[in-house]
Amino acid sequence: MGLLALGTPLEWPEAKKKAAQVREWGIEQLLATWNRAKGKERDALLWGDEVEYLVVCFDDEHRKVRLSLRQSDILEALASNEKLVKEGGGVHDVKRGVPTNGYCAPVFHAEFGRFMLEATPGKPWGIGFKDLLDVELNMKLRREIAKEHMSDTEFPMTVTTFPRLGLGDYITPYYPPSGEKLRSQYVPDEIANPHVRFPTLAANIRSRRGRKVEVNVPVFRDEKTSWPWMDPTVNYDLYKWPEDDDVRKGAVKENYIYMDAMAFGMGSCCLQMTFQAKNIDEGRKMYDQLLPIGPIMMALTAATPIYKGFLADTDVRWNQIGRAVDDRTREELGEEPLKNDRWRIPKSRYASNSTYISKDPRLRKEYLDPDLVVDEELKKKLIDGGMDDILATHFAHLFIRDPIVIFAEDLETLDLSKVDHFENLQSTNWQHMRFKPPPPGDGTGWRVEFRSMEIQMTDFENAAFSVFIVLITRAILSFDLNFYLPMPCVTENMERAHARDAVNGQKFYFRKNPFHNRAPGRAPGTNGASRTASPTPSRPATPLGPVEDEYELMSIDEVINGQYGGDGTASSCRFPGLIPLVESYLDSVNIDIETRCNLERYLGLIQKRADGRLWNNAKWMREFVRTHPEYQMDSVVGEGIQYDLLKAAEQVAEGGGGNGLGKEMFHV
Amino acid sequence: MKLIVSTSNIMSGGPPLIRQSHAEKSNLELISSLRSNIQAAKDAAVDPDQNGDTKPDDVSNLPLSAWTTTDGDQISVPSLESPCSGLSEDPEQYDITVKLFYLPGVGTELRCAHTREAIALVLKKLRVSTIDLLIVSFPGITFDADDEDEEEPLQNGVADDDATRAEVDMVSQTWRILEQLYEDGSIKSLGLSEFGTNRLQRLLPNVRVKPAVDQINVRDCCVVPKQLIMFGKKESIELLTHNDCTDVLPRGTLTELLGPTDAGVDLLSQLSQVNPALTGNVEPQFVVKYTAVVKDRGVVESKGYFAVANVS
Repeated sequence: MGLLALGTPLEWPEAKKKAAQVREWGIEQLLATWNRAKGKERDALLWGDEVEYLVVCFDDEHRKVRLSLRQSDILEALASNEKLVKEGGGVHDVKRGVPTNGYCAPVFHAEFGRFMLEATPGKPWGIGFKDLLDVELNMKLRREIAKEHMSDTEFPMTVTTFPRLGLGDYITPYYPPSGEKLRSQYVPDEIANPHVRFPTLAANIRSRRGRKVEVNVPVFRDEKTSWPWMDPTVNYDLYKWPEDDDVRKGAVKENYIYMDAMAFGMGSCCLQMTFQAKNIDEGRKMYDQLLPIGPIMMALTAATPIYKGFLADTDVRWNQIGRAVDDRTREELGEEPLKNDRWRIPKSRYASNSTYISKDPRLRKEYLDPDLVVDEELKKKLIDGGMDDILATHFAHLFIRDPIVIFAEDLETLDLSKVDHFENLQSTNWQHMRFKPPPPGDGTGWRVEFRSMEIQMTDFENAAFSVFIVLITRAILSFDLNFYLPMPCVTENMERAHARDAVNGQKFYFRKNPFHNRAPGRAPGTNGASRTASPTPSRPATPLGPVEDEYELMSIDEVINGQYGGDGTASSCRFPGLIPLVESYLDSVNIDIETRCNLERYLGLIQKRADGRLWNNAKWMREFVRTHPEYQMDSVVGEGIQYDLLKAAEQVAEGGGGNGLGKEMFHV
Repeated sequence: MKLIVSTSNIMSGGPPLIRQSHAEKSNLELISSLRSNIQAAKDAAVDPDQNGDTKPDDVSNLPLSAWTTTDGDQISVPSLESPCSGLSEDPEQYDITVKLFYLPGVGTELRCAHTREAIALVLKKLRVSTIDLLIVSFPGITFDADDEDEEEPLQNGVADDDATRAEVDMVSQTWRILEQLYEDGSIKSLGLSEFGTNRLQRLLPNVRVKPAVDQINVRDCCVVPKQLIMFGKKESIELLTHNDCTDVLPRGTLTELLGPTDAGVDLLSQLSQVNPALTGNVEPQFVVKYTAVVKDRGVVESKGYFAVANVS
């Protein structure tokens, strides 16, 4: 999350009046970008990963662990490290060196939570297979550098959420909750990055919504959990802010853990990746084809079994973030009849995607979301400006939202050489895939961001999943794979991916046949000269059958490792599996033995996580809690358990899975 | 009669490509993509728009000329594209690798002609004038990580046995053909497949152009002996992985593929109808595989095989 321009942020009632102007100017800027970059061609594959950390502070004497709110001190220390800057790294938007050839030091970024840190490679990765081996080393280096700029008791941890966020003595330095911006009964305003953008974002979301956000997550019912269960940490007797009424008006739900602030969602760490496409068409194809893979990878990387001191009945962060930034009004939510607002909106602005965008002839209209909400006026502007219908639909869908943070200074003149108004909407639509137009100026191409994965405890795992997604994109483009599913199935998959132990227990809609229904290389448009900037649509070989016949419910194991009949032959194989597809891709390119051997370590991890032989992070954490001597089988994760859990996670990260701790996640 | 059987571009071909595990090292990719390419050509000849159901009768009544091309004593099965569509971008954008499989039982004196023929087929297919890397695979030469471990490094003055000497002679002679192509400029670098340290050590004194690459089966990629890794580093021979079968096209397999059985495409009987002198005896001569990978994007744009055989 980059720090956008400084200025005077408008409070919600003012911002609301300017929303239409920002949207219109954003569309103008998008059209300027479109006209400038739609013909951009032959960009190399460049890609980057983003690793996010919680900064925790261990108090070994008292067996306590707290979140450290020293983000700005740490970033300052990093920015003043001359060696780091000289080697091309530094701190984003503060001080960084010129990226160097050869080794380039990493770059650190501020994040929403004041207890968070983000680190990226100093320059993007390429597709040289040896680059793929550097990813893990680079992630280790980022962790080391981050640690060097912290105190002895502070550690950067790649854990999605802090288990007891919001309860008691959990931050250092300590600030009391119930501040003006967040009005949360659990977390103080100081939990958020002090840059004016972040508190304004939180305050305006709350204000637009008309009440605090409600982050309710089902509690895990253990043997001795009282049932029905009411969150015992809710204080019903606060009267400081009008929003304190929320809990008295039904915000708290039976059998749900209740949370009331953006920090409970946006304070989660994830593993995101961005790919540069060769041109806009390739970018649109990658976006569409990675989209159905998002929920699968989320279930596979699940790492979030605890919220606010309780075991949850879910394993991932996603919906909690969705609720933590849900700015929809009661009318938009469908709780009240539409009177002032323009439409009902089925999803939060942080949610799974709702649009496909490729001009691929394999994209059937049956795949599109029947509930899609689009701003028809803005769509018409885009079409009049020359954009094709399906891409115009995508952006006109993103632009149904209001801009949340508006700076007064930016409304003076429309600058078409900038994209600030466009980005205002684009970057506050947090869907699991993001299609990113080329920014002005630096030659960067069309990009696609893959956003659903949870951060993993070790750099080994984070590298494994990053590299796997890179290889999937190459397999998609090389084999011209087709993973299209009706959009409601993707939405449903995202929900299923939340279930506790979804990786082993759930089934997901997935396309049965990812290949063209025709013979190799004979149909028009598949090889050679026709595969140029704008590919000639290749006509399907046979009349299309019912969409429902194209997909079925599969386990994660089947999606990742393939579906095989009893005799194990290719003819009994139905869906081939993402790993076999990647292996087949690797068999078609020249790779040295060392690289391939390392890639096998990564693919082996993912294969075994998918087939259940190895545990994912969520299962390991849940079992750690449930077998802890202090655990009372009542869903409560106490301070001692939290301390031991994070200590253990820190040791797992330190050992990279190699020191025996957490062996259920790494060794069969 | 000479038979050129081809797969066309198999990258978007589907299931035959996908192997299930390293344990299954096979020529499945080659055989099934040859079969499906021929089948597709026949279907297309019956129903050029591919928009209706083709009846089995229509296919079996197809004249040979509808899906093959005869040129003198040579027949292409199925007909090759004419002109070839080639690659979508400038040739410099690609890494083009060709792997030539010399087959067992084929006279080594034919290798010169076969090599040139193989290269010509690929250059024409991809519409390029040079190949970045040519890798050759010799029949009977396979690398075994376990054996290699126990082998002692070669000692000076230890006499090789006759079989070893014969192999070194055979490989060196073939290598001379490759060196010539390299010196002509049509091949930018040369490589071998499945050579252990000792074989490399014996070969190197006999070559002008050193191999740049030695391919090891991917099954062994994590257990390559240190000795070979060190030797590769010292001699600048890059050790790459492959997943090809050593005996990529056994004689019976091609006969079955071209025969009238369920698995076959029924070419041989039609050939003997046209030319009664042909009894359907198929002798595979060589197999060549090509891949064109877009360099800075890692996308495999084209991959395919030609298998060349004599029919008598």
